[in-house]
Amino acid sequence: MSEVSKWNPANAVTASRVVSKWNPANAVTASRFFTLPPFVWAVHHGYRQWATLLILLCGLLDKLDGLVAKIFDCRSAFGELFDAITDALCYGFALVVVAAYGWAPAIPVALVILLGLTNSAMRAQYARRMGRATNYKSYAMERIVAYTGYLIGFATGGMEVNFYYWLFVPLMVVILVHDGKRMLLDPVPAARPA
Amino acid sequence: MNVMTDTQFEWFMTLAVGVLAGVWLVYDAINLARASRADGRDPIVRDKRFGYVVGLVIGVIGLVGVLRYRGVL
Repeated sequence: MSEVSKWNPANAVTASRVVSKWNPANAVTASRFFTLPPFVWAVHHGYRQWATLLILLCGLLDKLDGLVAKIFDCRSAFGELFDAITDALCYGFALVVVAAYGWAPAIPVALVILLGLTNSAMRAQYARRMGRATNYKSYAMERIVAYTGYLIGFATGGMEVNFYYWLFVPLMVVILVHDGKRMLLDPVPAARPA
Repeated sequence: MNVMTDTQFEWFMTLAVGVLAGVWLVYDAINLARASRADGRDPIVRDKRFGYVVGLVIGVIGLVGVLRYRGVL
C-alpha cells in the first residue's frame, strides 16, 4: 500500500495559503494563558466559584478563536497547531493544579496527562510523516478535549469528581488507540493538488 | 469570596453541565445519523462516525453525572 494517499479535504488547511502568525485568532488563543495566574490564585485561596468561572472563560476563548479565525479569514496550519498546544498546556497545567490542591484524584489526573503526552508524541510523528507542520484532525479528540476542560470545572465546582475523572480514562484510551492507528499506521494524505 | 450563593452555584453547575450534555447528545446523534448515510469506505467518514459516537458517550456521561449530583441516581 502506498505511503501517501489522495489529498485529504479534512486536512485542507494544512496545505492551503500562507497566513501571518500574528493574526487576531492566534491573539485570542494566546490570551487563554492570561486566565491561568488568576486561576492558580483562586484555587490557592479556595475560591471555587472564581476558579470555575476562570476555567470556563478559558474554554470560551477556545471556542472564540475558531470564530475569529472564520470572521477574519485567518485560518492556518500554525493556528490549528497553536490551538492544540494551548489546549494541552492550559488544561494540563490546570489539571495539575487541582490535583496538587486535592480537588481532583491524583491517579486519573496522572493518567490523563500521560495519555495527553502520548497523543502529542503521536501527533509529532504524524507531522514528521506528513513532512510539514500539521494538526491531525480527530473528531473524537476534539470532543475529549472539551471533556478535559469540563474535568477541571468538575474539580473546582466539586461536582461528582471521581465519577467524571475515572470514566474519562478508559474513553481516552479507546480514542488514542483509534487515532494512533490512523496517525502512525494508515497512509498519510498527499499534499493538496495545485 | 463568592460570586453567588452556594445554592445558586450548584444550580449553575447543574445547568451548565446538564444543558451542554443534552445539546451535545442531540447534536452528535443528528451528526451520526447524517454520517451513517455517507460512504463508509472513506476513512474520513469512519473518523466522523467514531467521533460522533464518542460525543454520544460523553453526553450520556454528562447527564448521568448531573443526575447523580442532584441525587436522582
